[in-house]
Amino acid sequence: MTLLAKQNAIHIEQLRKSYSEPSVGDVHYIIKDVDLVIKGGEFFILLGPSGCGKSTLLNMIAGFVSKSGGNLRVNDVEVNKPGRDRAVVFQQADSSLFPWLTVRQNVEFGLRMKKTPKEEQRLISDRYIRLVGLTGHEEKFPKELSGGMKQRVQLARVLANDPAILLMDEPFGALDAMTRRTMQKELVNIWRETHKTVIFVTHDIQEALLLGERIGIMSVGPSSNITDIYDNSLSYPRDVASQQFYNLYNTIQGHFEE
Amino acid sequence: MRWIEKKWVSVSLLWIAVLCIWQLGAVVYGPDVIPGPWSTLKGGQELLADGTLTKYIGISFYRVLVGWVLGSLVAIPVGLIIGKVNVIRIFAEPFLNFIRFIPPIAFITLFLVWFGIGEQSKIALIMYATFFIVVLNILTGVMSVEEDKIRSARSMGASEWQILLHVIVPATIPYIFTGVRIAMGTSYMAIIGAEMIASNEGVGYLIWNSRLFFRTDWIFVGLFCLGFMGFFTDRLLGWFGKKVLFRYGVVSVAGKRR
Repeated sequence: MTLLAKQNAIHIEQLRKSYSEPSVGDVHYIIKDVDLVIKGGEFFILLGPSGCGKSTLLNMIAGFVSKSGGNLRVNDVEVNKPGRDRAVVFQQADSSLFPWLTVRQNVEFGLRMKKTPKEEQRLISDRYIRLVGLTGHEEKFPKELSGGMKQRVQLARVLANDPAILLMDEPFGALDAMTRRTMQKELVNIWRETHKTVIFVTHDIQEALLLGERIGIMSVGPSSNITDIYDNSLSYPRDVASQQFYNLYNTIQGHFEE
Repeated sequence: MRWIEKKWVSVSLLWIAVLCIWQLGAVVYGPDVIPGPWSTLKGGQELLADGTLTKYIGISFYRVLVGWVLGSLVAIPVGLIIGKVNVIRIFAEPFLNFIRFIPPIAFITLFLVWFGIGEQSKIALIMYATFFIVVLNILTGVMSVEEDKIRSARSMGASEWQILLHVIVPATIPYIFTGVRIAMGTSYMAIIGAEMIASNEGVGYLIWNSRLFFRTDWIFVGLFCLGFMGFFTDRLLGWFGKKVLFRYGVVSVAGKRR
């Protein structure tokens, strides 16, 4: 287990993202001096209010946004561009799925780019379409699907590439409460089945507590940072009504009420 | 449903009304100023009988089609490259925005000098009329491809070339389609101008030459031919878009009701 935990780990030291404001001649930090170690196979939550820079941090891990200072290593390799090992599930399925491709073609996209043999593509897409519960919808186009189903397609599409790390940017934020609940449960199941490292960005405390093993609290920006990290060792599936859940909820809630 | 709301009833009533007003105009102003429906029909018969009308329509249509197809074929890759490569776009955009205000007709004399009196100059003119409209539309299309699509393709391991081919091109198809469809209209305008000034054949020549004999009925015949040629090619193109390109989000403009 320790070996696995070291593999695919993410090491962040003194990480910064700044932009300069020419009118003031001043440097602004979106995030400043973030230190964080995420173990391989861990389900880590980045929790914070809107505009705190949690998406920026996620995009930096993904390699979409360059850093202004510090270190960011995945699997002991410095991150400077996107890679197949780090898959991203975006908040908006409509803007990230390819509407001209069917569900199956969307799921096979990464494999097609890699020129995986056709039969193998088929086997892999079948497996992940089944895993996210979309069997029977393979030949549909994204516009024929509901919001929850589109997010399932996104999930299957990234899992098909077998990434080590899943980066999820409020993926259930646009879903209705009931669909969100189902998706949260299934994500936990998928995570436990596939042993991926998951970094999940949210501003919903309950969601954070339902999903994560550790919860990193990000302060309000600018110059945002991870101020506290909470362990959540409650066993899955988690019971929202339990006393421990309630206590932890209140503790974390306290952070945002100051 | 009341009988007047039936489509064939209302449409035929409308056409009868138009013909009546037209005939009325002919009676009031005399057939030399406004040739009535009947004399236009006679004029058309006359031109059909000696074969000039069919020949002229064929020639104009051939010029438009060749120039439009060639112009589009050149414009599509050029537009994609300008849109995709930032450095080229920065240089090309001011130039494109300058030249798009120069109508094709303004180039007729120059094109005659450059490409000769034959077919080449006319086809070059249509290509010019097509090229900039298609390029500018593709540019808009490439610029409006969602960042999330490109990012997700990149993190699934797609190369820059694969992103162009598998993300940007399909996402831009509705814009390409709109571009070539609008370009078809401007091509007709350009060819009529060219044929009026520098040709011995074609619908534009017919319209222009008829003034010498004061055959306003022949002018009317030319106008109707133009209207029908444009109408049918546009409908054909719209039908093609709806049938073949629907998965890319191409919708028929004509058939859409709001």
